[in-house]
Amino acid sequence: MATGPGLESLVDQTISVITNDGRNIVGVLKGFDQATNIILDESHERVYSTKEGVQQLVLGLYIIRGDNISVVGELDEELDSSLDLSKLRAHPLKPVIH
Amino acid sequence: MLPLSLLKTAQGHPMLVELKNGETYNGHLVNCDTWMNIHLREVICTSKDGDRFWRMPECYIRGNTIKYLRVPDEVIDKVQEETTKTRSDRKPPGVGRGRGRGREEGPSGRPAKGIGRGQDDGNNKGGGRGRGVPGGKGGGGRGGGRGRG
Amino acid sequence: MLFFSYFKELVGKEVTVELKNDLAIRGTLHSVDQYLNIKLENTRVVDQDKYPHMLSVRNCFIRGSVVRYVQLPPDGVDIDILHDATRREARGA
Repeated sequence: MATGPGLESLVDQTISVITNDGRNIVGVLKGFDQATNIILDESHERVYSTKEGVQQLVLGLYIIRGDNISVVGELDEELDSSLDLSKLRAHPLKPVIH
Repeated sequence: MLPLSLLKTAQGHPMLVELKNGETYNGHLVNCDTWMNIHLREVICTSKDGDRFWRMPECYIRGNTIKYLRVPDEVIDKVQEETTKTRSDRKPPGVGRGRGRGREEGPSGRPAKGIGRGQDDGNNKGGGRGRGVPGGKGGGGRGGGRGRG
Repeated sequence: MLFFSYFKELVGKEVTVELKNDLAIRGTLHSVDQYLNIKLENTRVVDQDKYPHMLSVRNCFIRGSVVRYVQLPPDGVDIDILHDATRREARGA
């Protein structure tokens, strides 16, 4: 399946993961497998709320189970550093309902 | 690196496991398998809202109920050590682990251990790493892994 | 396998993927695999004011299991070919 959308190209890059329970976790992708289980290093969670800007919680080294993952996005570091997270307000994402 | 190799390497280390139902389990990893079923010792279980705790000498968690695992930072360096070691020693197959997905990207593989884990956390406000490892400390009272009721 | 083959034909086209958490992401279809995991390029979230969570993401991988709908370009659907393929699949070919 050479053309498949594997995560190879994202290894050692900073990624932004949206989980099924609506969390947004940012970290460096260190590994993954067929089931989309992933290893995230130096990760932190970005907590969105409507009352205050985005809060960042340091998490560290995580293994996230594939069936809890919705989206893995490649974080454009330039775009990201131009964002003022402290000014961003939003509802947390809804959990996935299967 | 495969997530399950990292998990295997974490044997003997403390870790935090959050289940899909929101409960968290803090304990030392005894063993795991390819389904991510895990066996923990010296466990503290915390309810979803974080207000109730149970202590148990050991427990077994079925892999498919897990949401994520938080493992101590240093474990990732051990995986790399072991993969490079098994490759340089050319141990016959069966020594388990290793098999770090064939490194297509470069001729030289990994720069053996000691990789500074550099990455310069500029964004990690709060002074980057150094968080106390999620360990079996009483009450597990640090919001870290959970939150949001 | 029919939908896998079908989506492979759509690579390079613009699609909108709506997820089971109501997030809708638009982008160029880069690739698909047998689980119908999808990779999009040049992505933007459809309602960015409501969902600023992916503002700094331009390329993403979407797990097939969380996809609710894929909105297709009108010219991405050739009814005759689809009919044929469906019959072939039903026959087990």
